[in-house]
Order: sequence, then C-alpha cells, then structure tokens
Amino acid sequence: MATEKKNIALESTVEYSKQASRATAKRLIRFFFRRLILLIITIVVGVYLTIIVANMGGYVDKILDAAIREEVNMQVAQIAAQSGGMSDDVRREMIEREIALRRSVAGLDQPFIRRSLTHLKNALTLNFGRARFMISDHGSRYVRNIILERLPATLLLMGTSQLLLFVVSLFLALAVSRHYGSFWDKLIVALSPTSSIPPWFYGIFLILIFAAWLKILPFGGMVDAPPPPTKIGYFLSVLKHMILPAFSLFISSFMINTYSWRTFFLIYSSEDYVDMAKAKGLGSRAIERRYILRPTMPSIITSFALMLVGIWTGATLTETVFLWPGLGTIIYEAVSRYDTAVIVGTTIIQAYLLGITVFLLDFLYAIVDPRVKLGGK
Amino acid sequence: MKRFTLVLFSLVMVLALMLTACKPTEPTKPTDPVPSESKETEPKPSESDPKPTEPEVKEPRKGGWLDEVVVSVIDQPSVVAQLNAGAIDVYVNGFGTNGLAELQESGLDYATSNGTYYSIQFNPAEFASGEYNPFRNRKIREAFNLLIDRNYINQEYYAGGSLLKWFPIMTNFGDYADLVDVCRRLEAEYAYDFDKAATIIRDEVAKEGYELKDGKLEKDGEPLEVVFLIRSDGDGTRKLWGNYLADQMEKVGFTVVRQEGTGADLGPIWISGDPKAGEWHMYTGGWGASVLSRDQSNIFQEMYLNTSAQGIGVFKANVSDPEFQDLGDRLYNKDYEDLDERHDMMARALELCLQDSFQVFVVDSKQFVPYVDGVVATTDLAAGVESAQITPYTLRFADKEGGTMRWATQPFLFNGPWNPVLGSNTTCDQGAARMTVSYDFIYDPYTGLVHPFFAEKADLTVETGTIIKKTLDWVNLDFADKIVVPEDAWLDWDPVEQKFITSGEKNEGAEVTAKVKSVVTFRDDLFDVVKWHDGSDLSMADIIMSFIMVYDRAMEESAIYDEAAVSDYEKFMDKFRGIKIISTDPLTIEGYSDIVYQDAELSAAGAGSLWINQFQGQGSFSQFAMMNSAEAAVELVYTDSKATEKDVEQMSLIGGPSLEILGKHLDKLIEEGTIPYEATLGEYITKEEAVERYKALKAYFDSYGNYWQGTGPYFLKSVDMNGKSLVMAHFADYPDPADRWDRYSEPMLADVDIEGPGQVTAGEEAVFEVYITFKGEPYKLDDIDKVKFLAYDSENNVVLIDDAEAAEDGKYVINLSAEDTEKFGDGATKIEVAVVPLVVAQPTFQSVEFITNK
Repeated sequence: MATEKKNIALESTVEYSKQASRATAKRLIRFFFRRLILLIITIVVGVYLTIIVANMGGYVDKILDAAIREEVNMQVAQIAAQSGGMSDDVRREMIEREIALRRSVAGLDQPFIRRSLTHLKNALTLNFGRARFMISDHGSRYVRNIILERLPATLLLMGTSQLLLFVVSLFLALAVSRHYGSFWDKLIVALSPTSSIPPWFYGIFLILIFAAWLKILPFGGMVDAPPPPTKIGYFLSVLKHMILPAFSLFISSFMINTYSWRTFFLIYSSEDYVDMAKAKGLGSRAIERRYILRPTMPSIITSFALMLVGIWTGATLTETVFLWPGLGTIIYEAVSRYDTAVIVGTTIIQAYLLGITVFLLDFLYAIVDPRVKLGGK
Repeated sequence: MKRFTLVLFSLVMVLALMLTACKPTEPTKPTDPVPSESKETEPKPSESDPKPTEPEVKEPRKGGWLDEVVVSVIDQPSVVAQLNAGAIDVYVNGFGTNGLAELQESGLDYATSNGTYYSIQFNPAEFASGEYNPFRNRKIREAFNLLIDRNYINQEYYAGGSLLKWFPIMTNFGDYADLVDVCRRLEAEYAYDFDKAATIIRDEVAKEGYELKDGKLEKDGEPLEVVFLIRSDGDGTRKLWGNYLADQMEKVGFTVVRQEGTGADLGPIWISGDPKAGEWHMYTGGWGASVLSRDQSNIFQEMYLNTSAQGIGVFKANVSDPEFQDLGDRLYNKDYEDLDERHDMMARALELCLQDSFQVFVVDSKQFVPYVDGVVATTDLAAGVESAQITPYTLRFADKEGGTMRWATQPFLFNGPWNPVLGSNTTCDQGAARMTVSYDFIYDPYTGLVHPFFAEKADLTVETGTIIKKTLDWVNLDFADKIVVPEDAWLDWDPVEQKFITSGEKNEGAEVTAKVKSVVTFRDDLFDVVKWHDGSDLSMADIIMSFIMVYDRAMEESAIYDEAAVSDYEKFMDKFRGIKIISTDPLTIEGYSDIVYQDAELSAAGAGSLWINQFQGQGSFSQFAMMNSAEAAVELVYTDSKATEKDVEQMSLIGGPSLEILGKHLDKLIEEGTIPYEATLGEYITKEEAVERYKALKAYFDSYGNYWQGTGPYFLKSVDMNGKSLVMAHFADYPDPADRWDRYSEPMLADVDIEGPGQVTAGEEAVFEVYITFKGEPYKLDDIDKVKFLAYDSENNVVLIDDAEAAEDGKYVINLSAEDTEKFGDGATKIEVAVVPLVVAQPTFQSVEFITNK
C-alpha cells in the first residue's frame, strides 16, 4: 500500500514535472512569438517612419526637383556658351529632356506614397535597391555595395575603439570601485565631465597636435596615398591612420564609461548580501566574482551587445573629420544629399541588428541571471 | 590585481604597436614605365665598347614635368595646416573669396581664378493675390544699384579679393575689356548713393500710396513687407551680404522678412514655385562662369529677358523695356552687321540692363588655389587649376624636372564611375582624368582662344559678310559667297548598315550649304609618335571609332542605344553639316558647320574637330570595342540613367564590378578577333591589328589593374578607391617636349604705373606717361590690344574717354589738350587707365589723382 502510494506520488511528481515542462515550453514559445511579432512590428514601423522622415513627408521631391532644374539650367547654359550658338528650340528641348531623365533617375516620376511603400517592401526584404545619387567608391550604384564597401573600415575603427573602451573602462571601473575615495577614484569622478565633449572635437585637437604641429601622424584618411605596396606596410599604414580617430573615440567616452561602471559596481558592492558575504568572511575575490559581477552580468552583457550593434553605424562626425572611409561618412553624405535609399539601407541594418540583439538578450538574461524567468508571471 | 596588470600590459603592447606604426612609410619606388615597343630603344653597351669620353648630353624631357602626381582628398578646413605641414603640395579645388584672409595670413602662394558671381534676383511677377509687388517697378529695382555699397561688401565679406560687379558680363573677360570705357562710366554713375536710392524708392512706392511713417513705409497701416530669400550655405557670404542688404532696405523703410536657408530649402520656392504666388520677392542669386567666354553677347537674354532659355518661372515673369528685349534677343541671335555694330549694341545693352535690373549684380568673387613654395600651377582665368586643360602640361616644381606632386582635392574623388563616354563629372574626377588626355586643339587659359595641339594649322572659309576676327597665325581666314557641302561628306550614321550616311544620301542630292568650312591639318608624324598608354600607336581606327560613338549611342536601332545620348546628338546635328577625311598622311580633315564664333580660331577648331576625346577622357578603338561589347550585352552601361533603367552597373574602367565583366568581353574580342563596325572600320584596321590592340590593352590591365588610358602626358598607374587616392605617372612615350606649354605657366597680367604732374591748369596741355610691365620687363606693344583712359572730375563724373598713344614697348602716353583739361573743372581730378592686353583677357586698371586749377 505504502509502495503504491509512493508510486502514485512519484507518478504525480513526474506528471507534475512533465506538466511544468510543457507549461514552460508553451510559455517559452508564446513568449518567443510575442516578442518576435512585437519586434517585427517595431521594425516595420521604425523603417517606415525613417522613410517618411528621410523624405520629409515627400517634400524632398520638391527640393530635388528644384536642384535638378537649377543644375541642368546651369549645365546647358555652359554647353550653349561653349558651343557657340545653340538654337533656342534645341536648348529648351535639351533642358526638358535632361530634366525628365534626371527626374526619372531620381524616381520623381512616381508618386511619393507609392515609392514609400516600395521602399518599405524592399527594405524589409533586404533589397536595398539603387541609391539616388550616391555611388560606391568602386562605381556601383547599389546601396548594398555602397554599404558593404564601407563596412570593413567602420568595423575596424569602431570595433577597435569600442572594444578597447569597453574592456579598459570596465576593468578600470572595477579596480577603482575597490578603492572608493582614492586618488584615482576622485580623478575619474573629476574628469568624467570631459566626456561631454564629442569625439570629433577631440579629433580636431588631436589633428592639430599630432598632425599639424608634431607632424608624426596623418591628418586623416585610412591609408597613405599611394598605399604601401606590401601587406605589412599597408597594415602599419592603416594602424597609423587609425590612431587619432580611434583615440578620439576612446577618450571622449572613456571617463564617463569608467565613472558609470564604477558607480554601478559601487551600488552592487553595498547590497545587503555583499555585506552578509563579508560578514561570513568570504575573500574579496570571491565576493567580487559571486556577489558583485554575477548580478551585474545582464547589464554588462546588454551594454556589450548594444556596443556591438553600435559599431555597425560608425561615428558619423568623427569619420567625417578624419575622412575615414566608413559608414559614418556614408550616412552623413546620404543625409545631406537626401539619398533616401542609402539612409533607409543603413537604418534597416541597424533595425534588424538591434531587433535580433534585443531578442537574444531576453534569452541571455534568463541564462545568466537566475532571477529572470522567461514569460513568467 | 593580476587581471588588472594583464590589461595594463596589453594596453602598453597596443600603444607600442601604434607607435611603431608612426614610423613614416618608405616612399614608393617608381615602377617601370608603361610597356611600349619604343623604336628608339638604345642597344645596351657591350663591355668591348669604348668608354664614353664626352660628357653625356641629357635628352630634353618629354611629356609631363613630374614623375608622379599623387591625387588624394582632404577636407578644406585642414588645407592650410596640411600645406604648412608639408603633407600636400597643392590644393587644386581652391578657396572661395571668404577664405582669402586665411590664405593671406598663412603666407602661402596661391593662383587666382573666377569664382561664383552674385546677384540680387528680384521676383517681378504680378502677384495673383493682387498684393503690391514693388519689384515689378523697374525704377525701384534700378535704385538697388545705388543702395548697395559693393566696395563695402567686397572689403567686409570677401577680404577685398572680389571684383565689384554691375553687369552680367564678366569683369575679367574680353567683352568687359572691349567696353571698358562704357562700363567704367556706368559704374561711376551707379556708384553707391544711399540717399539717392532711398529717394527714388520712396517716391516710386508713394505712387502706390505708401508713406514713410516712423521709418517704415506703410499704406493704411500695413507695412510694405518683402520676403527676402537668403542663402546660408556655400561659402556663407550670401548670408552676410544678404543681411547687409536687408538692413539697407529697412533703413529705406521696407519691412524685410529674412528667410534664410540652403539651396535645398529655397530652391523649391524660387525655382520650382510659381512667382505669381507671391511667396518671395528677392533672392540672393549665385552664378558660375567656368568657361573663359570670348563672346558674351548672349548674356543679356540669358540673365534678364523672358526669352531666356533658363526655363525658370521667375525669368518668364519679367517684362522688360521693349528696346532692351529687342536688343538682348538680337545680341543672342548675333543679329548685327559687323563688330562695330555689335560693340554699339553691347554698350547700349549695358545701359539698359542696369535700367532693367531684373538682377542687380554684386561681385565677381574669386577662387584661390593655394600651393607650397616652389610649385608652378597654371590657372585658367575662368576654370582655375583643377579644370584647366593645360594644367597637366605645366604643373611642376620650379626649376626641377621630375618629383612627386601631392595634389589634394575635395573628398568627391571617385564620385562616379570613370568611363570616357559619360563617367563622373565632378571636378575632382575630371581634374585627375584630364592628366591622361591630349588634344587636337587646346584652350588658352588666359584668353579663351585655342591653340593647335596635335593639329598644326587650319584653313577657314566663312560666308562673305560673316562677323569674324583672326588673332593667331595658325589659322588662315578666307571668305566665300557660298560654302557648299560636298555630297560625299559624312553627315549621319546608319546603325543597321554600320556605315556613315553622306550628305548627298541624307539630303537626296539637294545642295547643302554651311556657314563655315574648316580644313584642319595635323602634324606629319601624328600616327608615328602619338601612342596610347598601352603602347599602341594611335591609328585612324581610333579616330573614326570615337566619331561613330557620337552617333551610334543615339540611334534606337543600335545595340548600344541610350536615350541619354539623344540630346547631345540633336545638339550636334543642329549645326553640323558634314565632315570629310581628305588625307590620312598627314591627317587632314575638312569640316562643315553652321556654328560661327566671333574668333576664327574657335570657328576653325569647332568645325574641323575630329579627335579621340569624349566627355570624361579619351577612348581607344580597343577600349570602345570592349565597352560596347559589354553595353550591347546589357551587362554594363555607359550612363547612369540607362543603368537605372536596366538595373545594371554603370561602367567603370578603373575599379569595381565592371573590371571583371570588361575583362570577359576583352577576352571574347581577342578570341573572336572582332572588328567592331567592320563595314566602316574594316577599312582602317585588320583583324590581326585589332587583336594586337586588344592584347596590348589586356597587358596594360595586367600591369596596372585598370583599363583607363589615353594619349596624354600621364597614365593611371594605381588606384586606391576606398582610400580615395590615385597615382598618375609620367608617360615616357609622350611625344612633345615638357616645356612646350611653359609660356602659359603664369598669366601675363600687366603691371601699370602712371606718371604725371600733381597739378594741372585747366585750359593748358598736360602729359601723363603710362608704364606697362610684366615682372619688371616692358610689356611688348604687340601684346597689347589697347590702352584707354577715363578722366573723372571732382564730382566723379566721367568727362573724357580716349585712347592713350603707344610710344614704345611698355610705354603709352596720354596727351591732354587744352580743351581736354578745360573739362576737368576745379579740384581733385582722376585719370583711370585701362590696359587691355592681347595675351590675357583680364584688363589692368590703374588710376592717378591730381589737382586741376582753374
């Protein structure tokens, strides 16, 4: 009888466990799809808003139309001056034909709403299409090529500077948080406002000091002109050109990052369970690892993941100041030339990357932080 | 702590690596010149040869002066710092006048050329709302000439580096020099006079019921409000003088709504908008003159009249005085009997344009190209350094052969694919590509005339009565009552038969006449000495192929049809009447055209032009065969518009996805031994020769990684497209000596000095001596067109205009008779001299002041 009862209890436990697993799986799947749908909706809305904003609700058409007319008029006037007498009819016809052609190339011969929906469809299917005006350095009009061509330069610059920034500031923050009130701690606190200065501003100063005055580093660009013929020479040349932009990106955020992390660690260091651990006599390393770093892990991972997403956008103004041929300069040019296709192209990559990152982070939190329960109520 | 130490150590390592990278890179060793089969290769001396006893005689350098030109991009704000740091040698794109002060402070040398010229653009339309538009009134617009102090604007906003401008003609072009007396008189008449301007404007608006109350012009309590569109972008100077003008207007009593914005912001309003909608009254206009025009008789229609082909609504809204309308249209159509009549018409048009003042011109701004000490850079007076045809031929380091010039330009290099037909049109790309190009005729950077380059001479025949003048010796000018186009002259193209259609065939035997016939003879050894960068000799097939391209792309039946080519074709056919190849040894072309320029040189070069140049560069027979093959397969296309239509890449000969496709088509041509347009080109090239040409192009690509070539003094040695730089290297097989165009290294702008008495007695004779020099040497009389002088009385009225008399080289004399001095009145008098050279279009002005006693 007792055995039967035991068996029944075991069976019910197993059944309960199975039910619990099924419920968890259901919850997970529900959570998965809910998040996915929400993210897709967010991306679609975000991208369409980008299309509308980039086109100023269709007003860009008027701007482009005026620019085309002005440019064609001046060009034809110049041709007429050179050709020593072009009859009025030929000239007018030439102007009208050229304007019509350019309008067609710019897509202005179709209504904006229709174009905006085509843009949206293409963007969501990662068919970036052709740029309006911009062209890749290698002469391609395809947005995909324009972006892909500049991506390595951006990843190199941003990857180096941001990884360096992340690692150095994190570890330095941890170090100074252990010595709260020390000279270095006070220095970090005192210098943290320097991060209000944007990196391009540091860049200008660095250029003045190291390029114009000391003449030991180049003013800008990514490699010497002409590029060194050997691979090692090329590598060193790129490294040399990267020092100033990477350093300006690094120093502009270094202090505030360190300060933030240090404050973050200090907050976690003063939690009751840390005090309890100290009271138990645990070593400082163990406390740091188990009671401070572990609970801060989700934030560190989030910060790291978002940093990884961020490096895909480039640093628009810093790249422009240093003439670094990355995505940042592309975005800058695209915005100033109203090249919607390129703006949307770069935005959609961001949107997808951000969406995927956020999606993955939700799952990662559950793995690294036992307090987080997926889809839990 | 261990981890921290590890991180610290890693950091030190990274820093050490970076510092290592700071070591300057080794300069690239010049590589071998382009593969060529030079016939003049000297045999290597054998050991048994006697050692040379005589000193080695150095061969004069051929081609460009430099070994290499490294083209790279920089941002303008860092130009001066980079020049001072020695990072670049020349910034070819130049500074606007607003940057002149910075350049002057830096102590750098710079060359000067035309920049943008600015105007106040009025909206003269009758507003649909019925609202009063003061700028329909010509007298009010005219008064704005007096309302602005151009000298103040120049000194304050352009560092004194611009030329004050009243007229649409350029202040440094030939027409201004020709009409200098009229211009100076009118400039004095329309000099700054605020009170006079305010009185005229207030009187005119008073007729509409507006009165000045508390400093504001009002009618029924409503202020006279005008919307002024002020451009804030570009060099920023329009914003400055626009606001200055708005201040002046407010002093008169206007209520000015200042709407500042970029071209993109304001373009939809003033260009695309309906002027009758009354959205704006005034705009800060900016115009360009990048061609040194020898004849600006079209400019009045262009800039003022409703018949202007500008096609912008506001131009159509202008109602001009009938006399001006007629005069402007006649000048545009060159409806005058002779040059004297033209001169008189232009002089009258200058007066009338100020009375019309649809646009009030402000300044001719300048462009300044800075360079480091020791650089010699020719600047075309209109086009500057980067856009001058002659630049590659004169660019050098002073007193030095060879070397590497670091040529910096704006970051718009590779702003489009490079193909000769319709590649990138940015000045950055064109400036670099132009180094690879040669010409049949080349523009004079200082006069706008042309000189024979590989052509040698021309015999020009024009219809009797044609208004034309000849300046240079290489052209013979003749007149004929009728110029009949021979029936066998090529006129059009049959894309199906791939043959030229003759004039006789096209016109079915009817007699066709032309206004101009030009027989151009090229140098004897043209096909022996002119080589492509791939080492091939220039051939007739290259020249004919290039000519076919004018037609074939514009024909719907053609495999390479492109709608974008139709406009150019129609423009060409509008005035083209036929061409004949008289001889191929020496190459002699007989061209017929209805385009007549005022200068015989331009007419001869225009009508008899048959060369290998396209829009962005040159194209050889082999290049075109390869490119056309790719275009016909719609794998690559020449133009952006067709690329969009067909959704393929636009062709680039220097990089990107094009290269692989072009390579494939080149291989196919080699394999099949194709002669493109065989029905025509088969007469000029054999299958074997064609294959040799393809192979040479392929070998060139294998050496330098690009298909870009020409016959100019430099070839494209390497390209770094992402890094935005390229290297042009000296082309050893270029035939002409490097110093051929040295005389154009610097414009012979005259230095003028006037000597004369400090006091003159009215009614007595007086003599003033005018000394004209260039770099301290007397200016030759043969190089001077005329020296005019104007005398101003103490009220700044022009009282006398006359020519000075030539005395000797570098010296003219102004002999004032008793009657002349009588006109000066009493008090301060000024004589202004205008020296108009023949060798440079820009006149030099100098004045001297003295006292006249009664």
